Amino acid sequence: MTRTHALSLRRPSAQLLRPPAQLLEPGPDPEPGPDREPPLLRSVGLTKVFQTDGGPVHAVRGVDLWVRRGEFVAVMGPSGSGKSTLLHLLGGLEPATGGEIWLDGKRADGLTQAKWARLRRRHIGFVFQFFNLVSSMSVADNVEVAALVGGANHRQARERREELLEDLGLTAKAQAVPSQLSGGEQQRVAVARALAHRPSLLLTDEPTGNLDSANTAAVLRLLRRSHTRGQAILLVTHDARAASMADRVINLFDGMIVDDAAVQPATLRGVAASSVLELRG
Amino acid sequence: MRAVVRWIRADLRTRPGQAVAMVLVVAGVVTALLLSATLFEGAANPWRALFAQTNGADIWLRLQPGTNTRPLHRLTGVDQVAGPYQATAATIVRGPQRAPVQLWAMSPALPATGRPLVREGRWLTTADPLGVVLEASFAQAIHVSTGATMDIDGLDGNEVHAVVIGIAYTSDQGSYPDQTPGLMWGLPGLVHAVEPVSRHTVEMAGLRLTDPSATGFAVQQAVTQLGSGAVISVSTWQDVERSVDGGDPLLGLLLALFGLVALGGALLAIGNAAGGRVLVQVQDLAMLKTLGFTPGQLVGMVVAEHAALGLAGEAAGIAVARLITEPLMRQVPAGTLAAVAPLQAGWVAAVAGGVAVALLLATVVPGWRAGRIWPVVAVRPPMPGKRLSRLARAALLTHLPPAVVLGARAAFTRRLPAVLTIAGLALPTMMITIGIGFWATLDNVQRHPGELGLAAALTVGPGELDRPQAVQLIDADQQVAAVYPVATVSALLPGETSTITTLGAGTSSQPFPFHVAGGRLYRAPGEAVASQGLLDAVHSGVGKYLRMPVGGVPVIFHVVGRIIEPEYGGQVLAYGLDTLTQAGAAAPPVSYSLVLRPGVSAPAAAAYLLNVSHGRLDVVQTVDPAANLSIVRPMLAGLFAVLGLIGLTSLVTASAVGLRDHLRDVAALRAMGLTPGQVTASLLTRMAVLALIATALGTAAGVALSTRLINLGGQVYGLGSGLGSPPSAAAVLLTAAAAIAAAAAAALLPARRAAQTPIAATLGP
Repeated sequence: MTRTHALSLRRPSAQLLRPPAQLLEPGPDPEPGPDREPPLLRSVGLTKVFQTDGGPVHAVRGVDLWVRRGEFVAVMGPSGSGKSTLLHLLGGLEPATGGEIWLDGKRADGLTQAKWARLRRRHIGFVFQFFNLVSSMSVADNVEVAALVGGANHRQARERREELLEDLGLTAKAQAVPSQLSGGEQQRVAVARALAHRPSLLLTDEPTGNLDSANTAAVLRLLRRSHTRGQAILLVTHDARAASMADRVINLFDGMIVDDAAVQPATLRGVAASSVLELRG
Repeated sequence: MRAVVRWIRADLRTRPGQAVAMVLVVAGVVTALLLSATLFEGAANPWRALFAQTNGADIWLRLQPGTNTRPLHRLTGVDQVAGPYQATAATIVRGPQRAPVQLWAMSPALPATGRPLVREGRWLTTADPLGVVLEASFAQAIHVSTGATMDIDGLDGNEVHAVVIGIAYTSDQGSYPDQTPGLMWGLPGLVHAVEPVSRHTVEMAGLRLTDPSATGFAVQQAVTQLGSGAVISVSTWQDVERSVDGGDPLLGLLLALFGLVALGGALLAIGNAAGGRVLVQVQDLAMLKTLGFTPGQLVGMVVAEHAALGLAGEAAGIAVARLITEPLMRQVPAGTLAAVAPLQAGWVAAVAGGVAVALLLATVVPGWRAGRIWPVVAVRPPMPGKRLSRLARAALLTHLPPAVVLGARAAFTRRLPAVLTIAGLALPTMMITIGIGFWATLDNVQRHPGELGLAAALTVGPGELDRPQAVQLIDADQQVAAVYPVATVSALLPGETSTITTLGAGTSSQPFPFHVAGGRLYRAPGEAVASQGLLDAVHSGVGKYLRMPVGGVPVIFHVVGRIIEPEYGGQVLAYGLDTLTQAGAAAPPVSYSLVLRPGVSAPAAAAYLLNVSHGRLDVVQTVDPAANLSIVRPMLAGLFAVLGLIGLTSLVTASAVGLRDHLRDVAALRAMGLTPGQVTASLLTRMAVLALIATALGTAAGVALSTRLINLGGQVYGLGSGLGSPPSAAAVLLTAAAAIAAAAAAALLPARRAAQTPIAATLGP
């Protein structure tokens, strides 16, 4: 979807693309210092160019970002700004055109599909806007298969599934197939599936974009709870309320980072969402 | 691995229909292949097995009585010599039934070479001097079993009352009545009683060679050593094998061909189905990749799932083949050796292994495609085709309804699946058309046996009557349309090592109505017609001259035509009897071939003649080789079912893939104002366009190939071409209509469902 929107954008001139100098100031810790733990995820000069009939389209242009262990980072931006594409690149769902991706201190860009798959088993869980559950599998199978492929045995997979579904209030729906569930239920199953193999990083792409407010609240609650237990999350969203839960918010425009700011601690909770962001530096 | 198994189980649970169809297709193909192999081997190999078991002689020499056979032991390349056995021609009489027989004198000890294999009862014994042992096919044909009694009439009128004490197989001659006379063994005393005059007997000597292929050289040596006057005729193992194979290579070849094409069709169907599943499930498969499935695992998963279904199909196919082989084999006419042989384990293993390998190959390509999918496909919907196809543009320009334009456009959105769908339907349609052609040929042969050279339904010998009496009786028979005098004369071709059969049939002014496939019938003395098998054997052709000794005098024949003649191993030369008279040969014993009036049955006519002659005429019904082929009908029907299933599988796959591709289009079109009916029509049009192209190609190819293939089979058989009948237009049109209707049906159900799904649901992700 993101790509379709990106295709419809006119390419702005190079001059217009350059954001004001102060916005380009690095956010917190652009490079890890010698005394600091290396970030869980880091990209350097990441680019993605789609070849279309109308010529090349630059969806992601030289993005440098990092996510530390246990950190909750939100990526915001208008439609077509390259958010989803960036997420796909970071998870190895499609190959980058240029730049570097470092995951857990190891270089991941340029890996084969098989190596990326093995990397995802250990480190990455995905939640998508449209849930994308495997349609032929029951809820239980959807969750267990993720655990199994992540290396769990049958017993462990079953235990994790029971634990997660109970946590999400879906125990009764374990044997249902995705088409029998509501959107909110499907998204909760998707979250359970993403967490079933205990990834070090959860990549979520508009997880509430297709849900009503009650279900949105439920899914956000899930994410927050998971984060408080130490889960690192990279959340792509339109929703300022969702972004406000993050430790840091990155703003993307035309495939480039135009803003990378820490969110005020919870003391400001209750204030209008727009005032939660604070520019640093 | 555990995750892979989990996914396969879930997939099979969700789509049981597809899985069952795949198992059925494989099972049908394996059954077809195994039955073909059974018939094929039944036609070709049992004789060889029997030859090995009986330690058969490579050459049988028919010698003048009293010939000194000792020089045969000294011939180079001769390993063992069987006999000589005294033998005489006789007639078996049981009530009104008379059958010509060759009676061999053998001792109670079974010989080392050419040893008959006793099937029931026992071998000759001095305790039972009047006991005889009958060759199995002969015993079966004249309905005689152990313990039966019979009169044996010698040529000189001696009559001996004998008891059947055993039935035995032999590899020394082909089965009765393809090969006459029948064969029977008795003690020398019994043979002497039947034919006391030794100069009226012959001596049979068998040679077992160190190199079985060197029969030609051995025969030449034997004739040189014994003198050409001593050798009456020669038969080699090649001759016997050819006569045993007789009616069946055509059948075996045809079924093997059908089986193989069915296999090709099944592979296409399974490849299509596996490919279709990959296309339909591309998002699920990509999603599995985001969970951490490697490309290798995905390939393994697709291949393993289909291999498991294929194996299940194979097991079912082998079981079904085992169940139905027995009843089918019972339909093979009595005396055919095929009935002896169950299929060997080696064949089953070869068929099963071949199918398994082919199945793996058919699923590896779709599996590989599944492995190459980038996981991002899971979350990014596929882009629909951008341009209208030429067909759709043509539909648009001719102001066809929008549903038709859209359907025509949808047909070729994906080129490769469209081509595979067309191939997957065209191939079975082609094979069904060819099958219909074969069916028509069978009909034709059975309705007009004259076209197989079988114009005469009965052959009548004078038997105990004088010739004029016999002719008078036959002429008086109102059921007889025409009578032709026929004499069978063997001839040893110069430079050739085997005896051929020549037929003096009718006269030059009234020739026997052979079915002439090329050239014309003989109209003057010295002219002859020959079967393709004979022309091949002597490297000759229509228009050429053949010189050979017939009835002791050299005769030059001008071959003016090629006939279709399934008897005598497909090797026969026919001419007017006046040719022999003119050449100065002694008049051979003549029997009469009767062409019956339309509507008269051969058994009824035979019974009438036996009745009016008080059983004194020799009446033999012509064996209908098409009867051997009647087993093809149930097999063809079965193959039609298998081919239909293959076609249907391709259609269902194509329908599912098409629907998945166009679901979003459909929703958008409905949002734009197309009615559910128009949407259904557009999806139906899509399948109908593909089905139309496929059936047009398939029937055209089938019609073009059918007659040619049957004629090719006929040539292998020695009949030459000219046998094949084109498939009937009605049946072909019916097939095409059925294929298109099936395509529409395969599309209708999912199309209606798609047309009725709420628009919002399909416009979602």
